[in-house]
Amino acid sequence: MSTQQEDDTPDVDDAAPATPASGSPAALEALIEDHVLEREDHLNAPGFVIRADAVQDVLSTLKTEAGFDHLSCVTAEEHEDRFESIYHLRKYDDPTQEVSIIVPTSRDNPVSETAEPVFRTADWHEREAYDLVGVEYDDHPNLERILLPDTWQGHPLGLDYNQNKPQIVTFDEHKNPLEGHEQAADDSDTMFLNIGPHHPATHGVLHVETVLDGEQVADVNPDIGYLHRCEEQMAQKGTYRHQIMPYPDRWDYGPGGILNEWAYARTAEDLADIDVPEYAQILRTMGGELCRIACHMLALGTFCLDIYGDFTAIFMYAMRDREVVQNILEDLTGQRMMLNYLRLGGVVWDIPEPRAEFFESVRDFLDELPERLDEYSDLITSNEIFQARTVNTGVLDYETAKDYGVTGPVARGSGVDYDVRRDDPYGYYPELDWDVVTEDGGDNYSRLLVRMEEVEQSARIIEQCVDLLEGWPEDERDIQANVPRTLKPEAGTETYRTVEGAKGELGVYIRADGTEKPGRFKIRSPCFSNLSALKEMSTGEYIPDLVATLGSLDVILGEVDR
Amino acid sequence: MATQTPLPDIISDLLGVGGFLGDAVSMLVAAALVGTIMLTMTAFAGPWAKRKITAAFTDRISVNRVGPWGLGTIVVDSVRLLSKELVIPEGVDRPAYDLAPIVLAGSALFAFAVIPMGNGIQLADPEVGLVFVFAIASIASLGLIMGGYASNNKYSLLGGLRAVAQNIAYEIPLVLTAASVVLFTGTLQLSEIVAIQQNTTLATIAGVRIPAWFAFVNPFAFVLFVVANLAEVGRNPFDTPEAPTEIVAGYQTEYSSAYFVLFYLGEFIHIFLGGAIIATLFLGGPGGPFLPGFVWFTIKIWAVYFFTQWCRSAIPRVRIDQLIGIGWKGLLVLSFANLVLTATALGVTGL
Repeated sequence: MSTQQEDDTPDVDDAAPATPASGSPAALEALIEDHVLEREDHLNAPGFVIRADAVQDVLSTLKTEAGFDHLSCVTAEEHEDRFESIYHLRKYDDPTQEVSIIVPTSRDNPVSETAEPVFRTADWHEREAYDLVGVEYDDHPNLERILLPDTWQGHPLGLDYNQNKPQIVTFDEHKNPLEGHEQAADDSDTMFLNIGPHHPATHGVLHVETVLDGEQVADVNPDIGYLHRCEEQMAQKGTYRHQIMPYPDRWDYGPGGILNEWAYARTAEDLADIDVPEYAQILRTMGGELCRIACHMLALGTFCLDIYGDFTAIFMYAMRDREVVQNILEDLTGQRMMLNYLRLGGVVWDIPEPRAEFFESVRDFLDELPERLDEYSDLITSNEIFQARTVNTGVLDYETAKDYGVTGPVARGSGVDYDVRRDDPYGYYPELDWDVVTEDGGDNYSRLLVRMEEVEQSARIIEQCVDLLEGWPEDERDIQANVPRTLKPEAGTETYRTVEGAKGELGVYIRADGTEKPGRFKIRSPCFSNLSALKEMSTGEYIPDLVATLGSLDVILGEVDR
Repeated sequence: MATQTPLPDIISDLLGVGGFLGDAVSMLVAAALVGTIMLTMTAFAGPWAKRKITAAFTDRISVNRVGPWGLGTIVVDSVRLLSKELVIPEGVDRPAYDLAPIVLAGSALFAFAVIPMGNGIQLADPEVGLVFVFAIASIASLGLIMGGYASNNKYSLLGGLRAVAQNIAYEIPLVLTAASVVLFTGTLQLSEIVAIQQNTTLATIAGVRIPAWFAFVNPFAFVLFVVANLAEVGRNPFDTPEAPTEIVAGYQTEYSSAYFVLFYLGEFIHIFLGGAIIATLFLGGPGGPFLPGFVWFTIKIWAVYFFTQWCRSAIPRVRIDQLIGIGWKGLLVLSFANLVLTATALGVTGL
């Protein structure tokens, strides 16, 4: 039986052979014992509390000697007596091997060593922790606010933050918000250019501060936060059982609805120890893959929009095909974008009646899809001008991709063979026959190829799901497990769970505080990490390539800013 | 298709006026007529045909609410665009900012003065007609750089610079390829070029005479010219000066209301001018069976217009460095080769 519960109770592993590379907690503890203050295990991983001045030591030891090369997420939170930064580490080769490094700091002086020299991705994650919670990171290269405006006072996820206090921005100091943003410093050969927040190619409200040398990009700095909607705080104010599930739909509105909901569902079900019936798992898997196709079609269409110009054939074709998927999703969930289909322990309802009609519409779509993809291949991937524009532009190499915590199609386009669906199985994926697509180019073209091939793989998964659902015994169609009306996971339980969203590893960290609402709810957004690699990918290239690279990263700003 | 009397003379004969004043009046009337013809075509092309054609390529329906086939959109759009507020940003370079749209639209329209449109519609027929057309059409680059520079906007500046770099790179292949046609005709007079194409017989198949249109005589030059012309008018794959997704419509970013309309008009007249030059040099101008010359001329320039819209829907935009590379390393070399080969072929065969 496939259930949401996996094997990650850490104490089981304690008996395993004690080599650090095997990820056994005892061996890990031995590896970093000089710095460990105490053990504080999470449901998903062993946790070690370390001193605030040993972060780089511990992380680099774990990275080089135990193979934890993926800093998936950094969660910061404030307790009554301390601040905590939690580094969620895992391995690209095997994400089931996880370890949490917990760094407590005092409330008077919340300074902790930065992890940026070890993992580049920590740069943005720590800035976010500083911005929202107020932990300060020593030696951080650029410890500025990232989501909130520079003028913001206080740290909204901190305990003594007063929401009712108005944000007073003194006019004199800030009368020209563009001051210092007009020219590159004392360099008359370069030109400073603000791309966005309102620009046709930023796919939302993204502001890219660019320094140009002629038409070439000398420096880029993505400035995010324009679409920050306090998703984490809203989730912290909702009850597990009913009030949180609609929020994830608003993260990746590509529409990655079911994929996003699954991230929350997986974490909460892990926390509350809920099993999901097999039939519901198949429904989730099918719905999730439909969402993935819709997201990839949008990515493909808008990427071509960046390269071709406005409202060209390929954009409209991709939108047309996405429309078919959305119609199917609407039949299934009752909504087109904000699906709200999953529930803890299952899904909200079964396939709509008459079922045969629904299955027929899915099969019609799947039958047409290969033809459509051939058409796309003719129109874009085999077009010489298109290849000239995309091959070897926006290159992200294998090591840099890992360093920046890049996941999803972007990582797979750089040869990183990492897919949470296969490597940390959940849902019905292990029972189905499908492949993880990787390309080695690392350029815009590879990323597009990966997405197009993933559409085919998703179609394979959906087809198998439809076969299973059609033949499922009538009396075993359990769409939801028996879940208590009120969920109150034990205080102090913490877990961090990820799923493969359309853009990559989408994770949710929850700390329960004994009430029916989460004590801390942290979202690990794949787009956030992917976007932070933009600078590496586009420095030295031309503006059109910067725009194309941004398109091939497929960022949804709702997910970046949350 | 003998050389015809220029249009102003026909009009002065019709009106029975003479003398300096009469000539002036008939010239004005003739110019107004040609201008109206081109602006009418542009009015159809801009707000209506462009949408319909793009929609057809992308499986959509497009405008169909106002009037038959949505044709009323033309009126609606004109009113809408002209009634918008004219926003003039701070710090623009005023005379240049105001002149740029006029220069762009005016230059393209001006060049139509010497284009033989058939049925005697031609304002003037100077002996250096071809040179005149290219000279006038190139003034458009000036309008683009003026607009780009005067707008006081970095995107516009980039767009203006791109436009100039592109026009210089593609103007030369364009003129060189046209020169290979001149080698055949031995004249720069446009009406003569048309007449020679129409009166020479290339072949006779089953009793049907195929005229020696230069597109048939030298298809290579035709293809070169069409490609260079795409770059000249700035349509995909060469629409880098506008590139809405990169530099936000480039030189026209800061223009609104009537100024924007002029830019927009200028662009479409420019496409039609490109079509007119292609038709005149390679497709026998207004020549064709059965239908009147002017109808044939219209069909030919609309065919070229249709082609540009097709490219716009289907072909990716090249990057600016690739664009310049294609221009200087590819088209320039090919057009020189074409010129030399044509000259050699003509010298050897003694045509």
